[in-house]
Amino acid sequence: MEQAYANNPAPPAAPVTPPQDAEKSPSGWKILWREIVRDKLALASLIFLGAVILSVYGVSLVLDQEQIVTVDLFALNKPPSAKFWLGTDYGGRDVFGQLIIGTRNSLSIGILVTLLTGLIGILIGLVSGYFGGLIDNVFMRFVDFFMILPTLMVVIAFVTAVPNYGIVSFSLIMTAFLWMGIARLIRSKALQERELEYVQASRTVGSSHLKIMFAQVLPNLSSIIIVTMTLNLAANIGLESGLSFLGFGFPESTPSLGTLVSYATNPQTLEFRWWIWLPASILILILMLCINNVGQALKRATDARQRKG
Amino acid sequence: MMKPGWTRSFFMPLLLVFTLMLAACSNDGNTNVTNAPAETEEEAGTTPAEGEESATPAENEKPVADDGLYSIDDFSNVKKNEGEPIKGGSITFGLVSDTPFEGTLNWNFYSGDPDAQVLSWFDEGLLTWDKSYVYTNDGAATYEVSEDGRTFTFTIKDNVNWQDGKPVTAEDWLFAHEVIGNPKYDGPRYDSNFINIVGMKEYHEGKAKTISGIEVLGEKKLKITYVQSTPSLLTGGIWTYPLAKHIFGNMPVEKISSSPEVREKPIGFGPYKVESIVPGESVVYVKNPDYWRGEPSLDKVVLKVINPTTVIQQLESGGVDLVDSFPVNQYPDNADMSNVEYLGTIDRAYTYIGFKLGTWDAKAGKVVPNAKAKMADVNLRKAMWQAVDNDQVGKQFYHGLRWNATTLIPPSHPEYHDSANPGVKFDPEAAKKLLDDAGYKLNGEYRTKPDGSELVINFISMTGDDIAEPLAQYYVQSWKAIGLNVQLEMVEFNTFYDRVGANGEDDPKVDVYQGAWGVGIDVDPAGLYGPEAIYNFPRYQSPEQDKLLAAGISKEAFDVKVRQGIYKEWQQLMVDEIPVFPTLYRAVLVPVNKRILNYAIGDGTGIYLYQLAVSQDKPVVADK
Amino acid sequence: MWKTTARRMTIMVPQIVLLSILVFLLAKAMPGDALTGLLDPSIDPAALDEQRERLGLNNPWYVQYWDWAVKALHGDFGQSFRFKMPVSDLIGQRMTNTVWLSLLTLALTYLIAIPLGIISGRYHDTWADRAITGYTYLGFAAPLFIFALILLWVFGFHLGWFPTEGSVAPGTASGSLAYVMSKIYHILLPALSMALITTVTTVQYLRSEIIDTKQKDFIITARAKGASESRVYNRHILRNSLLPIAAFFGYEITGLIGGTVFIESIFSYPGMGQLFLSSISLRDFSVVTALVLLYGAASILGALLSDTILSFVDPRIRIK
Repeated sequence: MEQAYANNPAPPAAPVTPPQDAEKSPSGWKILWREIVRDKLALASLIFLGAVILSVYGVSLVLDQEQIVTVDLFALNKPPSAKFWLGTDYGGRDVFGQLIIGTRNSLSIGILVTLLTGLIGILIGLVSGYFGGLIDNVFMRFVDFFMILPTLMVVIAFVTAVPNYGIVSFSLIMTAFLWMGIARLIRSKALQERELEYVQASRTVGSSHLKIMFAQVLPNLSSIIIVTMTLNLAANIGLESGLSFLGFGFPESTPSLGTLVSYATNPQTLEFRWWIWLPASILILILMLCINNVGQALKRATDARQRKG
Repeated sequence: MMKPGWTRSFFMPLLLVFTLMLAACSNDGNTNVTNAPAETEEEAGTTPAEGEESATPAENEKPVADDGLYSIDDFSNVKKNEGEPIKGGSITFGLVSDTPFEGTLNWNFYSGDPDAQVLSWFDEGLLTWDKSYVYTNDGAATYEVSEDGRTFTFTIKDNVNWQDGKPVTAEDWLFAHEVIGNPKYDGPRYDSNFINIVGMKEYHEGKAKTISGIEVLGEKKLKITYVQSTPSLLTGGIWTYPLAKHIFGNMPVEKISSSPEVREKPIGFGPYKVESIVPGESVVYVKNPDYWRGEPSLDKVVLKVINPTTVIQQLESGGVDLVDSFPVNQYPDNADMSNVEYLGTIDRAYTYIGFKLGTWDAKAGKVVPNAKAKMADVNLRKAMWQAVDNDQVGKQFYHGLRWNATTLIPPSHPEYHDSANPGVKFDPEAAKKLLDDAGYKLNGEYRTKPDGSELVINFISMTGDDIAEPLAQYYVQSWKAIGLNVQLEMVEFNTFYDRVGANGEDDPKVDVYQGAWGVGIDVDPAGLYGPEAIYNFPRYQSPEQDKLLAAGISKEAFDVKVRQGIYKEWQQLMVDEIPVFPTLYRAVLVPVNKRILNYAIGDGTGIYLYQLAVSQDKPVVADK
Repeated sequence: MWKTTARRMTIMVPQIVLLSILVFLLAKAMPGDALTGLLDPSIDPAALDEQRERLGLNNPWYVQYWDWAVKALHGDFGQSFRFKMPVSDLIGQRMTNTVWLSLLTLALTYLIAIPLGIISGRYHDTWADRAITGYTYLGFAAPLFIFALILLWVFGFHLGWFPTEGSVAPGTASGSLAYVMSKIYHILLPALSMALITTVTTVQYLRSEIIDTKQKDFIITARAKGASESRVYNRHILRNSLLPIAAFFGYEITGLIGGTVFIESIFSYPGMGQLFLSSISLRDFSVVTALVLLYGAASILGALLSDTILSFVDPRIRIK
């Protein structure tokens, strides 16, 4: 259900964070890192993730994309072989190649959306929470409006209305409806933060608002931002593959993990040609698991009471 | 009389795979109201149709396919009867669709194929037709034509009654015409066939209170006069579905389609009566003992919507006995299902590649050919036809259940399809030579226009079925192989027809497109290729064609031999001029549980729904 | 408290209006319209244009929007072009199905979450906790559509334990016991596959709540006073941990909205999500607009419900 919650991390996905009085130990980053290293599972996940990302982007540089989406009439639905490591689909196209490209596309979209939503969310949340008052009020009404949008439906309607989109424009559409959660979170943190002494002190010293916000408040929120964005990354990849699954994602010539899974809605494929959809499904599952493992470990790191070490 | 083959592909852009099935099977003239809303039970009585004499029973059971290929010639369209009918019994009919049926349950108002399937069990047209789709006198009404071919006198049989006991009258038939001609009518039926009735236009525009061309001569006798007499009148040009005036007579026209009499407790005069409806999902019918042809054998029929993904399981387990359509691409993996017999027939449809040769003048309602269009050179078009190997496409993608198309009248119309015409054969070498000779010189990887400028051809194709994208890709690759730079764009159904010009505004960025047409039962192609047809997407026109199209519906053409000659010439003209070229013809396959008796698909089999029976109480279950 | 609720309610109105304009514009921006699919060469394009005129499709969007909005205010959401029936009736039919599905899903979600959460929190760091945590990790990572597809395949097809489509068996009389049983039977698998996934966040939440509460002062005091372990759990810890869970009830509704779209399309269950997807492909705009509005309203109400409960439960929020 990541997709449903994607714009709504206030409920279960992240509710554990608010009550803790994040202690300001000098190096938030170090704690995050230490927690990951301690948690063997998270460490393994992180290493695996890094390996997948490196190999996917690396291999896709070498792979000839045109070659992969080339239709071969005489190699339809071939099972895995030395030539086609994961067999071919109903167009005689190499599934392994599509898996690599598809993972790259899904990851790219996921990362892009996460970064963009993070950027917008941080900006709006920070400004809104730091200044409070009227600015906060205006921004929050804006956020409120976006919060109530049934995200999935609106994105589907949007994608239908925009006949041509690439990876970037598709990410922008998703971003437009997914930035609110993080904005809210950052805002509430910033609200708390600005009451703290160090902010007041800086003000009296005469630091500019900009400087306080970005040089002092922001670093203090970095660990919570990283946690949220990590968990969001998983949600965004899930949403993208879900949209592709429903048929509102990319054309087949731009494969994504969701496209490969959606082939399984054909009973023939589901039953007799596992090599088309199973690797992609497993890969999604593992990717999500790894990202979540890392995310959960990070979350624990920010919550002193649940830390492993 | 034609409609696009993929019109009814609901969910096309959604679930890529489901659609193939819909696309593959929904194009039998069902949207094409006037004619074949429900072939299965309306075919007029001649001997069982062609094809099955050649097939021995053994072949019939399991068409042999050593090479993984199948042929439609190995299928019969009539169920082989095994065993004796039992008295009564009940069957389940699967309506294969991934969306619920709409529930506009009246022939005068429905628009989707699923509704037509629901309707055909409890209501029918007054006329039936034979194998060549010509009206016969075996139906609920008979007809006589006047000397000049314009005036038809119909007599409804005495025992034809609505299921509430009231007789079906000439008044009802007239009433149907009045409702459809009413400007407030909200269904899709008011078409050229209606405008062809004397006085209909005036009535529709509100200038006349009655339709002058329709006259009630008696309780069961109706006379209709048409403006123009054409052979097309006899093949689906008459509206044969009465509307019960005693029920709908006092209703405002715009309210009828949403009334409970249409949606919840509809009646007709067909072999079964609606007992209960779960909206969009299922219908339970019981037999109509007073059916005019005789009492039906079955007691009960249950119709339920089943998802294309579950068809196989439902059939194997006996969850359904019959289905309205079957995804052909699932056949090879399930050819040996032991409890069903596959019936097959040739679909009235073809897939094609079209070339944009002009634009549409909305004001004048005419196509405007453009001699300077990118695709205007017939040599270029011919080379593109020669470059694609549709024989292999059919074999590899469709296991032989779609096959290379040659002309624009498919073999589903055996009287008119010119099987001697080979079309244009696959020959990439000849294509290259043709282009060389025509001045399209290779410059690096791709060819240029004869004037030396760059040639980039924009090709659009519909997303939808499973194979849509690979197929389009294959064409692009084939064209690349002869040096043409073709850029493919896959678009979903609505966008596709919008850009091709269904609303009259052609997208100038489209040069070539791949589409499909389901063909009506009348062969007249003017609706798709005539100079005044908005669906003439290539925007092709030539004096030769105008002449042939006019001749095809002239009085002389009432002589079948003459008409055949005319359309033979037209098919050849299209092969020479290539405004579009056909790529594939298609087979329709329908699995039927072995206990089912007296069932057939296709037209003119003389087997009617009321005869449908079963040889045992429970469906045969597949042994695994 | 009531003031907040009232204020929230008034904010709802402009929100809904904005949403309706957004959806309306999106619908208009989609290529083609409801008549595009009716490519029947025997129908004169002029007749189609007449229909467009009659349906008002030729007017500029703000005129269409105004016409629509005025009618909508009177509860008339127009006519579905495809189903030829009033949109409100059509959605009414489908909504019943979706509501049934959602209710059962919610019930199952809590039925699964509460015992698992309690076990996991109470016996924290035992093998049971590890198993449950493992499950929540998996469930959190598994995309709903993959999971549902696999359940459908295994239990619907291969084992044949559950029906694979529809909302009720044909021919069962509405209102009878058989009808109700058949309905439940039909939604059991879809609801279960959704619940098994949605429940994991609640399990995780409950677990960490309990672990937190366990170490709070008043619990330690209670223990010190010699209260039995079960009494500590039942009287103190659970009461404190379950209340916030109840508060998320409203958000759960919002979450279900996205889920039902996938579930309904995978299980061919004729609900609102499936109606939405098919209406969008067929450009049945009046239905699309009404549905998105309805979903929007549902998520507003869901959030409102949660916030209201939450402000009872957790006074900290009230201060804001």
